[in-house]
Amino acid sequence: MNRINRKQGILIPLVIMLLMLFAAQAQAIIDGVTGTTFHFTAKEGHISTPDGNSILMWGYANGNNVMQYPGPTLIVDQNDVITITLTNELPLGNAVSILFPGQDVAASGGSQGLLTRESNSPADTVTYTFTASHPGTYVYHSGTQPDLQIEMGLVGAIVVRPAGYTDLNRTAYGSSSTAYDYEYLFLLTDMDPIIHELVEFGQQDEVDNAKRAPVIWMINGRAAPDTLAPAYTPLLPHQPYNCLPRMNPGGKLLMRIVSAGRDLHPFHHHGNNSTVIAKDGRLLSTNGVDPDLATSEFTIQAIPEETVDAIFEWTGEKLGWDMYGTGVGYEHDCVDGNGDDFDDVTHEYCPDHGKPLPVVLPEKQDLGFGGWWGGSPYMGSAEALPPGEGGLNINGGYFFMWHSHTEKELTNFDIFPGGMMTMMVVEPPHIIIP
Amino acid sequence: MKTKRYRLLTLLTASFLFLGASASWGAVSFQCPGYDPGVDGDHNGDGMLRADDGEISNPLGSNQVCMHLTGGDGFVTMADGKETYIFGFSNVTGLPDDQVLSEGILAAAFPAPPILLRQGDEFYLSLTNVGMMMRPDLFDPHTVHWHGFPNASSVFDGVPDASISIKMGSTLTYYYNVVEPGTFMYHCHVEAAEHMQMGMLGNLYVEPDQNLLADGTSLNGFIHQTGFKYAYNDGDGSTYFDSDYPLQIGSFDGAFHDASISVQPLPFANMNDNYAMLNGRGYPDTIENNPLPAPVENGGKVSQFEDSLIEGTAGDKILLRISNLNVTRFYTLASPSIPMTVVGKDTKLLRSTDPDGAGPLLGENLYYNTNSVNLGGGEAVDVILDTTGIAPGTYFLYTTNLNYLSNDKEDFGGMMTEIHIN
Repeated sequence: MNRINRKQGILIPLVIMLLMLFAAQAQAIIDGVTGTTFHFTAKEGHISTPDGNSILMWGYANGNNVMQYPGPTLIVDQNDVITITLTNELPLGNAVSILFPGQDVAASGGSQGLLTRESNSPADTVTYTFTASHPGTYVYHSGTQPDLQIEMGLVGAIVVRPAGYTDLNRTAYGSSSTAYDYEYLFLLTDMDPIIHELVEFGQQDEVDNAKRAPVIWMINGRAAPDTLAPAYTPLLPHQPYNCLPRMNPGGKLLMRIVSAGRDLHPFHHHGNNSTVIAKDGRLLSTNGVDPDLATSEFTIQAIPEETVDAIFEWTGEKLGWDMYGTGVGYEHDCVDGNGDDFDDVTHEYCPDHGKPLPVVLPEKQDLGFGGWWGGSPYMGSAEALPPGEGGLNINGGYFFMWHSHTEKELTNFDIFPGGMMTMMVVEPPHIIIP
Repeated sequence: MKTKRYRLLTLLTASFLFLGASASWGAVSFQCPGYDPGVDGDHNGDGMLRADDGEISNPLGSNQVCMHLTGGDGFVTMADGKETYIFGFSNVTGLPDDQVLSEGILAAAFPAPPILLRQGDEFYLSLTNVGMMMRPDLFDPHTVHWHGFPNASSVFDGVPDASISIKMGSTLTYYYNVVEPGTFMYHCHVEAAEHMQMGMLGNLYVEPDQNLLADGTSLNGFIHQTGFKYAYNDGDGSTYFDSDYPLQIGSFDGAFHDASISVQPLPFANMNDNYAMLNGRGYPDTIENNPLPAPVENGGKVSQFEDSLIEGTAGDKILLRISNLNVTRFYTLASPSIPMTVVGKDTKLLRSTDPDGAGPLLGENLYYNTNSVNLGGGEAVDVILDTTGIAPGTYFLYTTNLNYLSNDKEDFGGMMTEIHIN
């Protein structure tokens, strides 16, 4: 027999209070720096990993801020002329530079290196200029000894907004067929701390790439569970970006995947397939406007230095039961005015409205509970859990794991769980995601 | 040593039975609406109860399907003869509840029992956790994660962090309204890096509605006949096949499994697979067209049912439902002699959409011909081998990551199988 516990009255004010805290952190638009002119400084700093380690990194700082990993996400507008100046505060003897794959770059200043112009010292400034001619998602990284310097952290992402983009008219590539409601960055990296230790101990010459064996895997410069901590948390001063995707049923979530490590990673997003609309900042299209060559995938191959744009949608369509619950305490309407089978406001799938959950769930003592389990199978509902269980799902959302399906990579230096993993939450319709 | 283990088994079984008898505690509880254990059962031996097959007395609908899996541990034999400890699922569909624990204990199969469904099915999947007989120190719950299920709910997604998982001695029943055809896969998601490396992985695929069209129906000029089968609802017969084979890529790290059975720290950072397999076997076991003999440690329970031998007659179209559930690396699988046509990925037909969004059937087929496919963990592709003009003989399907054509130190093995064309 199943015990359905009535929703707790105290939960509602609690949820509202927590929600207000939450709202301040939630960003449905990617964090980064905007404008046309940027100044970067390459510097040292230490990041934290959830296994308790502190790892020396080299990263691009925004202006004279602290080193950050990954580098500042540049959010620029199509057709703008973008200028980035770079000065070098890395340990003496290390030149540094930036490559912008996919952009037509003019570089000046500094001195000519193997791949581009390089800065050699704090007094030596290089300037890179390019026109952001194509919308999309791009990567940038060091062009100086990249085998070492990318591993050390000199990497970042660029988002080019299409002409005509506004916050109320969000599209990835300009056409309405690339429209979205929420966007999140997934910059995937893999790391071998031994290399970083050698650099820190002045044994840079000892670094042997043939022996590289990554044991830390990250999204946006953080390994799980830090991926879920707030962006810009003072606890992680060198890792400003989090990865906490949120959406409402019926919404469109744009995933901007930047594969910035050395290995391939199969990025699996639970919940539904996504539509891969572009790779390397180019729409998968025959007419250049609509992604008619898009593929629908549940695991996206993240290939080193490739970027992928994919649109994820979720409605709970055809679950075969009413995901908002049935019976006393779960009363709700499903109003399909426009005949698309979905409620016009909540996007509930109306043909399933009123259908009870087809199975009886076991007694609580027979179950293990996850932290993101709210106690109820129904969206927007919560039920009492044993002490110490749950607690991370304040709105009764549906949490889905988004992660590398090379499950070995769900660890932080031999400790499970962690790694290249985050949770995406489908929040109930009344939760507003900016 | 062996005697000791069996004594332990008896003790644990007895304790489970004792617990099962206590009403306030967990108990095996198979849920299948309208199922009468007195008369119903898996009459046709396909491992599932299907209303259509007369195996459920009073089903809610003719499309009702029920299955009962256990999650636990056991042993398998690698192709070099090494007995290897695994976690896994076992099929106990149709067994009375009071026999599930005794039958399910030490019965873990690798790969997990295949789940074959039809579009439109309503699928009730019960999972009973029988505990880890060889690891009485573990109290791990288990789940089923239907990998790739469209518009999933969190309650039935099987991710323990975001959902519920089932503890030892109890049963959790999942419900799936099966709306999408294609090649999926399933696995336990509890402590995924461990439980998946340990072998809780299986084939799962769904046949499309198009298989059931009336005889003579025209599919854009292609005439359907009763019995014809397709990979997807393609609308043009282009994914027609004569026979299909689920092929699940997997690989084990023997040292990890040894560490598990000997209760040692598990090497996550140093996880390096040295047994590369198809459907849970390395070559030449892949072509052994029978269940492998039961490992001694299993107490006589067979644990490796699936072979990967592909057979056909020249001219046949053979659908390979390839999925990858290894947890350490990408693998490339090649068929150098018989060309591959990739028609689907991740349960979707490869087809362009009409930019107007008017419907998928207006797009162009984006199938491509190749001799190899590359898959990371969690990816699936549907490949048709067209054997037209292929001379009778034996052909090979193998990984071009050639160092994985081995069973640990034994060469000429690993991720390879044969295609026999008559």
